[in-house]
Amino acid sequence: MTSTTLPIGDAADEPPAQIIADASADHLVCKGLVKWHFTFASLFMLVSMTAGFVVSLQFVGAYPFENVHWLSFGRLRLVHTNAIAFGFLVNAFVGGMYYAVPRLTGRRVASHRLGWVILVVWQFLILATAVGQLLGYAQAVEWGETPTGFRPGTWDLNYIPVDFLVEFGAVLVAIQFLTPIAKSMFKRMYVSLWYFSAGIVWLILTYVMGNTLPEWTLSGSSGGATVGLYIHDLVGLFVTPMGWGLMYFFVPIILRKPIWSHALSVIGFWALAFFYPLNGVHHFLLSSIPMSVQYGAIISTMAVEIVVTTVVVNFFATMWGRGLALRTNLPIRWFYTGMVCYFITCLQCFFHVTLAVQKIIHFTDWVPGHAHMVMMGVFAFWVLGMMTWLWPRLVGNDWYNRRLNHWHYWLTMIGLVVMFVDLLAAGVMHGYMFMALAPWSDILNALKPFWDVRTFAGGMILLGQILFVYNMWQTARTPKPYDYRVDLVDPEAN
Amino acid sequence: MDRFTNVILFAGLGCFGFSFLMSGVYPYLITDGLVPETSIVELAKDVSVEFKELKASYPVAFGQSYPTAGAALTLEELAGLAEDDPRRAASESAWQDAYAVALRDGRDAYIAEVCFHCHTQYVRPVANESLRFGPVLAPANDNNALQRPMLWGTRRVGPDLTHEGRLRSNDWHVAHFFNPPDTSPGSVMPRFPWFFRDGWQVRRSIDPGKADRGGIDEGRSYPTPGVFETKAEAEAEMARLKETLPSALSGEKERLFVEAAKGPNGTALSIIAYLQWMGTWVPPVREPTP
Repeated sequence: MTSTTLPIGDAADEPPAQIIADASADHLVCKGLVKWHFTFASLFMLVSMTAGFVVSLQFVGAYPFENVHWLSFGRLRLVHTNAIAFGFLVNAFVGGMYYAVPRLTGRRVASHRLGWVILVVWQFLILATAVGQLLGYAQAVEWGETPTGFRPGTWDLNYIPVDFLVEFGAVLVAIQFLTPIAKSMFKRMYVSLWYFSAGIVWLILTYVMGNTLPEWTLSGSSGGATVGLYIHDLVGLFVTPMGWGLMYFFVPIILRKPIWSHALSVIGFWALAFFYPLNGVHHFLLSSIPMSVQYGAIISTMAVEIVVTTVVVNFFATMWGRGLALRTNLPIRWFYTGMVCYFITCLQCFFHVTLAVQKIIHFTDWVPGHAHMVMMGVFAFWVLGMMTWLWPRLVGNDWYNRRLNHWHYWLTMIGLVVMFVDLLAAGVMHGYMFMALAPWSDILNALKPFWDVRTFAGGMILLGQILFVYNMWQTARTPKPYDYRVDLVDPEAN
Repeated sequence: MDRFTNVILFAGLGCFGFSFLMSGVYPYLITDGLVPETSIVELAKDVSVEFKELKASYPVAFGQSYPTAGAALTLEELAGLAEDDPRRAASESAWQDAYAVALRDGRDAYIAEVCFHCHTQYVRPVANESLRFGPVLAPANDNNALQRPMLWGTRRVGPDLTHEGRLRSNDWHVAHFFNPPDTSPGSVMPRFPWFFRDGWQVRRSIDPGKADRGGIDEGRSYPTPGVFETKAEAEAEMARLKETLPSALSGEKERLFVEAAKGPNGTALSIIAYLQWMGTWVPPVREPTP
């Protein structure tokens, strides 16, 4: 089997970008690093989702740790969102990059020893974050709840300054992956690498901005603008580029087929780079941030939703002629389910960013509904698909039980859809009751049945992940011959 | 376009920098950049009545929490002093010092208990919000050190708190933290048992002869201010109360007794001080530029 060649543009004078899809790049990849990043990613996923499930019990009146200060509702709620972002997604993305970058560049990452250092340092930081949050040292910036280590708004040290260490860790990650990309043996960079290299730079800039300015320099309204920028950039300029970069890598590799259109991938990348960061302020619409800035954010949001459609179209066109893979290949099914979810969230965002819809749905359960669709439905699905595909290759054993993987998919997918529809409906109802000046207790009582359903759906998702992690564990310790061709859609192609 | 340096420079640095200029620097320059931020000490110059009431209602916890509490005198204590007593002047600055500590601790507790995930601090000019919560605020209203990091929030499981100050009594807040559904039916807010300390309190049982007026149980009793660390302190307080009771109320002496009790601790007092401050601050008026 030869390399999967991906023709890029029409430059006749330069060799096209390539993915090394055969075993010739195996010696460049440190499988141990991929394996351990995935292991920690899955563990933190369990931690986060358990926390999310427990937190949802508060809303159904069955919170189990009512009298334990450090496990109180508010604090556990931080662990839920923060561990997903930094424990699960970052670990999984870094693991995926350890696998992808050498195959895209023909080079090793900067240093495997540095890789082990990053692995250990990062897990320490996630743990320090979770412990700090449970002890009450969280920073009051949404998604930036990682403790600053200082009393709010002052320079009095009271905990490990995790924020600054995370910035240091992000710089190490940048050194690790930008080195091989800069020294790539292919003259042209494949799409994935644009996303990876820009995403790493954006992560550092975003993190520094969001975790220092609102805390130490900008108060109130201008702080709000920066916090909005931070929340959005973390999703739009780190999670999204990493996710799409990995999709641009894994989908062609599994389908054995180059991506459909280079032109569309160029449009998708530059539109994301230009419009996405301008969206930030849309998290605080109808606030005291100047209206000119708010309108700018609304218009760029609508622009980005239109243009990201090109990316989705590109991937569905790539599927052309390989549609059966959705039935036969579980990773591909995860990826494309994620893309459908991506399209749904973008479409949803196009409408709900308008002031007319904001008026109704902001501050309601609509927002967590949307957030779960993005983080779980899109990025977690992609990561889970990636793990489903890579795990047997990393441990060298075939899946312990492939049926469990299907249970994992269906439980997670149905659970997510139920939760999404449920929270959206709750949000619309909440919004209209609120506008009608219904008493607060009436609104809460009307919401309670929806919260019951949400807990049930969350339980389904959590159960799916437990099955998956159990399967991963058993796969790693049960010797079983694995033939990688069973996971390829068309092993004979190319 | 697909060179490494192009991606890093134009996408990585350029697009990010442009967005930061447009939605970070620009709004700052036309709002908060025009007026200096008000510090917490400056905010604490105007001590609220509710904060002074906290000392009267919860003297023990108050004394433990604020180092200058001894010199900060309540209205009752001031009433006994001569007009030119130096303690009168010292009292006001002691109050301001204590209030600054309370506001900062209260805001820190608000963050540490993650109140901002379920309560917002901004009212929008739509959806009848100002009918429900009060006036919409301008950027200047949030340009103070208590809003850094800003605490607007993005989700309302509970009501907006922008104008919470002076809306309810201190005691309502204490009861609410103890068990939210007691004061707010249907509430899903967690209880905050760690806002309460154990101790001993002097209580006064109801006059059995008057108990049936209004259908009050005969066994009912009411607390007096102060939850003391030890039983002996509470008994000393009971003795003091008995001595100071006016002779007309001498019958009440028999009905005083000491019992184990819970009372709000320093954290609870500071977060209540912070809640009672919300929305009461009037930002300084900016002089028009010539």
